[in-house]
Amino acid sequence: MQPFALNYARPAAELEATTPYVYDSGRQLNVLFDGRIAARDHALMRELGTTTSTAGSKTHFDD
Amino acid sequence: MTVLILTREEDVTADMVVVHLNATGVPVVRLDPADLTDGVSLSGEFVHGTFRGHLSAGGRLVSIGGLRSVWVRRPGVPAARAATPSAWLTEEASQALYGMLRGCDARWMNHPDAARRARHKPWQLRLAQRCGLPVPATLITTFPQAAREFAERYPDLVVKPVSGAHPQDPPRAVPTSRVAPDTDFSAVAFGPTLLQRRVAKKADIRLTAVGERLLAARKAVAEDAHPDEVDVRFARDDAPWRPVEVPPRLASAVRAYLRDAELAYGAFDFAEDGDGMWWFLECNQSGQFGFVEVDTGQPIAHSVAGWLARPGPSAAAVPHQRRRRGGALSADQ
Repeated sequence: MQPFALNYARPAAELEATTPYVYDSGRQLNVLFDGRIAARDHALMRELGTTTSTAGSKTHFDD
Repeated sequence: MTVLILTREEDVTADMVVVHLNATGVPVVRLDPADLTDGVSLSGEFVHGTFRGHLSAGGRLVSIGGLRSVWVRRPGVPAARAATPSAWLTEEASQALYGMLRGCDARWMNHPDAARRARHKPWQLRLAQRCGLPVPATLITTFPQAAREFAERYPDLVVKPVSGAHPQDPPRAVPTSRVAPDTDFSAVAFGPTLLQRRVAKKADIRLTAVGERLLAARKAVAEDAHPDEVDVRFARDDAPWRPVEVPPRLASAVRAYLRDAELAYGAFDFAEDGDGMWWFLECNQSGQFGFVEVDTGQPIAHSVAGWLARPGPSAAAVPHQRRRRGGALSADQ
């Protein structure tokens, strides 16, 4: 009784449980542990995949 | 006047925009509705024919009347992190927050009503057709026989979720997947199924629209890519996205789509075929853009910040809001 599309489902790949940055409510930005702004480190963002089109799929419809 | 950003704390893509807003000195209040009522507070007073409302988060207090724009990025479920969360409290918090915001004059990226409608893929496909965007032959059905007949007409098909949502319990992903020619379609009866003619694509296109600005990026399909690997989000290929020009006729169609959908932002996915034609797949009204900017250097976050920072609420209202006020439509979004 499984819907057809679910025949093509695969286990979800979870993002890394820990990220090397934390939200700073004062600055309203995520900052790295050395105080730098995470969003300015494009190499890190590429590595973590936190801005990719599957990053929000677990909780949002929009990729 | 202030830009209000509704999103989760861990949303580093939103950070990319906040950085630009900070650089230009535009006041920003960022909050996650999930933090109502623990960390985020609201109050609104309707007295003597006037409304005065305020939001508070992270030690900042902002007047709802002082908002220039609202960016609905990736907000959490209202009150989801309250001390005693419940479906009832979520509804209460949602109605209070979004109800008050809906009454303000701020410009929206994107308005909740437009956003909700724009998430419907069948609606997207029809609007794309009407706007002149090429749409691959598509069937959405619960009739197994209809699926079989469609597969006879279009033997090379893909299947994808109608909603784009991924099932939980347990968490699974449902990539766009190629359907084998001898597939048994009986299970189509157990859930609406979206089947689409597979585009033998040479590249994936992600076109990010911010107001009138269109920024397109292209990711070539690897020569040795397996034909069953159709969903770029799950492809193993790590080729970068590259900037690409938007063909003028397609740009006009995309702008018509945005106008009719009443969207200030949209992330369009196209499949480029061997003739260079861009086939419309979908438009994500809150689609990610950070990964494109990281690869291409295109100023998407800067464009979003610029749109949000435009002065004054009513002077540059998006058509959605103008229509609701009974004003004339314009294409200045």
